[in-house]
Amino acid sequence: MVQNAPIRVMVVDDHPMWRDAVARDLTEAGYDVVASAADGAQALRITGATRPDVVVLDLQLPDMSGVEVTRGLRAAHPAVRVLVLSASGEQQDVLDAVKAGAVGYLLKSAARPEFLDAVRRTADGDTVFTPGLAALVLGEFRRLAAAPAGEGAGSPRLTERETEILRMVATGRSYKQIATRLVLSHRTVQNHVQNTLGKLHLHNRVELVRYAIEHGLAGEPE
Amino acid sequence: MFRFASLGYAVLLAAVYRADYSRPDWAWAVIAVMTAWTVVTTIAYARPDRRTPLLLSADLAVTVGLLLSTAVLQYPHAMRTGVMPVTAIWVAGPVLAWAVQYGWRAGAAAALIVAGCDFLLRSGALAVALNGLVLLLLAGVIVGHLARLAAEVEAERQHVVQVEAASRERERLARDIHDSVLQVLALVQRRGAEAGGAAAELGRLAGQQEAALRALVGGGPAGSGSGDVDLRALVLPVQSERVTVSVPAQAVLLEREAADELASAIRAALDNVRRHCGERARAWVLVEDELGMVTVTIRDDGPGIRDGRLAEATTAGRLGVSHSICGRLRDLGGSAAISSVPGEGTEVELRLPRGAGVPVARSPGTG
Repeated sequence: MVQNAPIRVMVVDDHPMWRDAVARDLTEAGYDVVASAADGAQALRITGATRPDVVVLDLQLPDMSGVEVTRGLRAAHPAVRVLVLSASGEQQDVLDAVKAGAVGYLLKSAARPEFLDAVRRTADGDTVFTPGLAALVLGEFRRLAAAPAGEGAGSPRLTERETEILRMVATGRSYKQIATRLVLSHRTVQNHVQNTLGKLHLHNRVELVRYAIEHGLAGEPE
Repeated sequence: MFRFASLGYAVLLAAVYRADYSRPDWAWAVIAVMTAWTVVTTIAYARPDRRTPLLLSADLAVTVGLLLSTAVLQYPHAMRTGVMPVTAIWVAGPVLAWAVQYGWRAGAAAALIVAGCDFLLRSGALAVALNGLVLLLLAGVIVGHLARLAAEVEAERQHVVQVEAASRERERLARDIHDSVLQVLALVQRRGAEAGGAAAELGRLAGQQEAALRALVGGGPAGSGSGDVDLRALVLPVQSERVTVSVPAQAVLLEREAADELASAIRAALDNVRRHCGERARAWVLVEDELGMVTVTIRDDGPGIRDGRLAEATTAGRLGVSHSICGRLRDLGGSAAISSVPGEGTEVELRLPRGAGVPVARSPGTG
């Protein structure tokens, strides 16, 4: 199914059984599993040499949190796309990983075709939203909107359309169903969803910089 | 610390009252011995394992010996008129040591011994000796009592810290184990579904358990101090193989009664889905928390409700929807709206204004 250059994937998971199963599924489907790592430090170390397009990341790692790994990967290799694959679906962990730059999230219990499709879409630059992630993103924008005036200034807002679409994703509708219902193209629905994540990423970076400046962590430009 | 201070006091007294001493040079010798013993005991008491009965007894014996030595170097009349012995209040040192080590009874006993010797010295001056006795007894008993109290408090604190650490560790283990079990269940579910046949059944069962466990882990304690509860903790347990529950990352706090009622309404809506769309219908529950408003949306992928059928059923008084869902929400001061689009199943939207409270005047919300 994947022609030309196969999609390069790195699998990061501390459960060998699971790592192997995921790697096998991907290989059978024509993906190129270029590396697998059992912990975050290893993942960060070998990403540069193996140049994966997509990193399939478990949030529960022995040495560092999935959030830290995501942040590290995004900082060192901005082209790498992180797809979070988590067993427990801890809401705050998933949200933090997504804010740190992950572009998709899937529960481990997702069926194989669903998983393979998610990896392909991640490589294509799409975002992979489950109903759970849509609810988390909605909740995060509402939290930002409810923040005290001083803090909330400049925090991103969802457009009405974006809110509408996220709510439809969160109640289990496919992009196709949403496109039909709203009389939009599939691509437009996808763009709207992607924009919501883009706003969060941008806001998160702005927040990090502001935090760094406020705490004197940002060095003077040389 | 006390010993050094009292030693200084003894030296001062010896200097002031040197006229009362029959042999001042001996008095200075006694003070020298006291100094040496003070240093010895300070070093010896520094380590808890060296605080043996032997050391404490030796301490008491040396102190009493030095106290009695005063007999030969002080004029008898000075004693009787209340001049301090050379050792002065330094003799309280071992009394305090006994009290700290073995409690107030030991402190009192040591005080009696020292006071007894003091009494021998001042035969005849009962009042002065009694004075010393009372002071020593007080010091022994009070310090002993306080030391025991401090030790108990310290032990209790240690215990609390241990219990806390243990429960934290248990929590961490539980998370780890849950995670591992979830991983295996998810894997069995996936592989089973692909293998087909008997394995598919196993996979399905694993899937059910996976959803149940995830709901349990995600739930956490619902309570918080103020009597408000986290709606998420009440709603996540309805998760199953067929029901997906999506919630925000932050607690959705509602008054206990309102949260319970809302959760019941959600369960009623899901029962409805099962009844009307069959066991295989999927459902999604979305919990949203906006300023002043909690919204819960329940959608299924069934055939939907034909236009007018809902109203028909309501007038006929047959449908559970109208009573258990709409009624509950109205009672809470909220609203429920049911909509259906062909091909997209049925959607129930429950809206509950925050702070509407149960007894507060009902606001007719428009869905």
